[in-house]
Amino acid sequence: MKQSPDAIVIGAGIVGATTALALTQAGLNVLVIDRGHVASGTTSAGEGNILVSDKEPGPELELALRSRDAWFEIAEAIGNNFELEAKGGVVVARSDAGVRGLRALTSRQSSAGVVAQDLATNELRTLEPHLSHSVTEGAYYPQDAQCQPMLAAAQILKRVVESGGDFLPETTVTEIKHLDSRVVGVQTSRGFISTPIVVNAAGTWAGEICELAGTTLPIAPRRGFILVSVPTKKLIFHKVYDAEYVANVSSGSADLQSSSVVEGTQSGTILIGASRERVGFKEGIDYSVLRLLARQAIELFPILAELQLLRVYRGFRPYAPDHLPVIGEDTHVKGLWHNAGHEGAGIGLAPASAQLIMESITHQQTFMSGAPFLPSRFQGGVVA
Amino acid sequence: MIHFSFEGVQLEAEAGQSLAAALIANQQRITRLTRINSTPRGIFCGIGQCFDCLLSVDGKLNQRSCITEVHEGMVVQIQNGN
Amino acid sequence: MEIKHQVIVVGAGPAGLNAAKYAANAGCDVALIDSGKRLGGQYWRNTGNEVLDQSTHHDFDKGSLLMDAVKANPRITIYLDTPIWSASIIDQRVVLRTKDSSFITQRLILATGAYDRAIPFPGWDIPGVMTAGAAQSLLKGSGVAAGKRIIVGGTGPFLLPVASALAEHGVEHVEICEATGRLAWLPQLHVLLNNPNKILEAFTYFLTLRRNRVRMHYKEAIVEAHANESGVLRAVTVARINSNFQVLSKREVECDVAAISWGFTVDTALALSLGLSASVASDGSVCIETDEDQLASAHNGEYKIFAAGELTGIGGSDLALIEGAIAGLAAANARETKRNLFKMRRKARRFAGALQRVYPIPLGWKDWLTPQTIICRCEEVDYGTLREAERELSATDSRSLKLMTRCGMGMCQGRMCARNISDLLGSNDEDRINGTKRPIITPITLGELAQEGLL
Repeated sequence: MKQSPDAIVIGAGIVGATTALALTQAGLNVLVIDRGHVASGTTSAGEGNILVSDKEPGPELELALRSRDAWFEIAEAIGNNFELEAKGGVVVARSDAGVRGLRALTSRQSSAGVVAQDLATNELRTLEPHLSHSVTEGAYYPQDAQCQPMLAAAQILKRVVESGGDFLPETTVTEIKHLDSRVVGVQTSRGFISTPIVVNAAGTWAGEICELAGTTLPIAPRRGFILVSVPTKKLIFHKVYDAEYVANVSSGSADLQSSSVVEGTQSGTILIGASRERVGFKEGIDYSVLRLLARQAIELFPILAELQLLRVYRGFRPYAPDHLPVIGEDTHVKGLWHNAGHEGAGIGLAPASAQLIMESITHQQTFMSGAPFLPSRFQGGVVA
Repeated sequence: MIHFSFEGVQLEAEAGQSLAAALIANQQRITRLTRINSTPRGIFCGIGQCFDCLLSVDGKLNQRSCITEVHEGMVVQIQNGN
Repeated sequence: MEIKHQVIVVGAGPAGLNAAKYAANAGCDVALIDSGKRLGGQYWRNTGNEVLDQSTHHDFDKGSLLMDAVKANPRITIYLDTPIWSASIIDQRVVLRTKDSSFITQRLILATGAYDRAIPFPGWDIPGVMTAGAAQSLLKGSGVAAGKRIIVGGTGPFLLPVASALAEHGVEHVEICEATGRLAWLPQLHVLLNNPNKILEAFTYFLTLRRNRVRMHYKEAIVEAHANESGVLRAVTVARINSNFQVLSKREVECDVAAISWGFTVDTALALSLGLSASVASDGSVCIETDEDQLASAHNGEYKIFAAGELTGIGGSDLALIEGAIAGLAAANARETKRNLFKMRRKARRFAGALQRVYPIPLGWKDWLTPQTIICRCEEVDYGTLREAERELSATDSRSLKLMTRCGMGMCQGRMCARNISDLLGSNDEDRINGTKRPIITPITLGELAQEGLL
């Protein structure tokens, strides 16, 4: 391991891994540190969604559009060894109001560069034959994709290490040291490592990492559960979700927000989400939420009632109060960069976030304006 | 004697026997082909813990034959994959 | 539907049966729940046919008497064919969910038992290779002999009753391969001598084996299985092994069944779902910690969860009966002194400890594996894949390995492979314990989960 890497990335999840790759490709010598193992945080608790369909026009959508293409570039570069699939998304509406809302959304999204095909009932049934008859209309988004996020993070990290980078798992950062408001290195459970650049990619724990540098970010956990069915023959052909989902994502309420997201995986299991609640890092499984998820999924696909549930998992999405990730240099501590707070879109947004931060760190022209994502919006300061 | 069908073939079992036991008594050792490699499996743990002995019973998939009691007229089929 | 009882016992094997009896006799209203269709658990698995049952068990009278007493006790309500798929603590009460009901109590006794531990080897997935428990349950529960030529292999006293019962029930050829040596008991002789009933029991098995011309080989293990063209078991490779389980020489034995037992794994799923504390025993099994009253956890005295039997550590049926009695009395808050039971428990635990020392399972079985040996049976993940993920994808703990390779993510949710994977990785205790957590204990359909009325 090199004594003083050009940059240290804290967090070996999808954001940390893609960031490390981008920096490595830009010629930096990168060390990735994680208190656990690869993808031991929220990266292993998601579905591997790479979506443009669930976003209103705005900076997040712009990031998502670039990121979606960047995922396929990564697969070109390191091989598609993480089940990347341009599966396509189908969004459905079940009421007149729902249909109107969906049509208005697709129209707005189309102007922003999203390919969205409105679907009449019969077209919907061709794409998804098992949809409930209560679903009348929908929209098809061919750009939506999916991958296996744990494999993605691990394969990307492997490429980082093969290209001269390093990875230290089971290593806890205890302090981010700075001198005259500039980062000089990190103190860890394995000793001090000097570096001028630290990237905080600790996801839901990014706020805790901030404290180690004497700075702050309001990133909080937003709990979600996913039901996993037994492996079954293919019943669901795309990612399918209720148009209600978009409203849930952008809700500011701490109460349980839940609407149905259903999709198959390459191993034959069907994943069912999606719930969102702000209950801190609450331990345990809330079976009433699981029941709601099952009920909503059956409303979309009645055939699922006979399908056995195999297991359940839980994750804590990293939530920032304005639902936008935090990407950029800390207002007070120079050399400390943040790339965190991607909430439920971490997998999808990771490569473009990595590109954005890499371009900023290496003083290149950024592919889009990073202004909406800057930490300064939470840190009460003005970036010089 | 209890009568049940396995893959369309009429077989006999004693009352109270598990489906897995009845199949073994009828020289039927292979109960499924695995999902990925299509390799044959039969009973393994015998007490409902390993999920290897899965069969379709009366139309319901993934039934553990070692803890399923045979009943008159039961229709048993091999599942494809899981 | 909500079903409330003063005391709920989960598991109707020796520990659970005795716990229910003692709690009921101390005045409590008791529910005894089991996922099986009959009382008895694994140890007293029976068909209801008296003659057959007597012949497949060493001492069925004891079990018969206890089961009759439980059935006759007006304070005990028995719920059979009632698998529990999840459990939670809600408002200081324990809630156990079944397909259509929620069982509620503030005094829970868990006696969920154990199941055979299987160690992987090339060909262990061939139909005809099974656990000794499977051969035992086919015979005891259904009166069916698993095959015609049966090799019983592994280690431990369980091999004896399995081989004896098979030999007595018309299996024309039975052979035993015990991994330890003939004189393995010598260092623990003092413990053995203190338990004359065990010596007698072993002696009756040896007589039965002798009478049926069953050969018993020592320091041997089944290290490979071979299939015929139809894909079922044709023969096994038996190896002469040293005390590290390394292969010294091999021979091939034709058989249609290999019934293998490498000790037992505790069924901790329900206990861990309720947040009970677990620890790793010297044989590597994860078991539930309890105090002298078999109390596993208490929360300001409002609800109490007890654990008894194999759940607290593999120790056999005698220990299970004792622990069940103590748990039953403690759950009932009975005045009755447990001093005698404590004494009996100490003695039984000493014997259980000796068993572990006499029949160890060292890691040398790793050398039996080839890269093609399936380690996760459900998801068909082979040894080569696991090692590659460990090397290339930094999957050095069982959670990462599971996420990268899917091992442990199949239908059995790691019941067969988690322990072996922990051994292969050299996992620490926390990793071992986490590998056995299962919030969905038994499959339930989404429709069943979606029902109204479940807590």
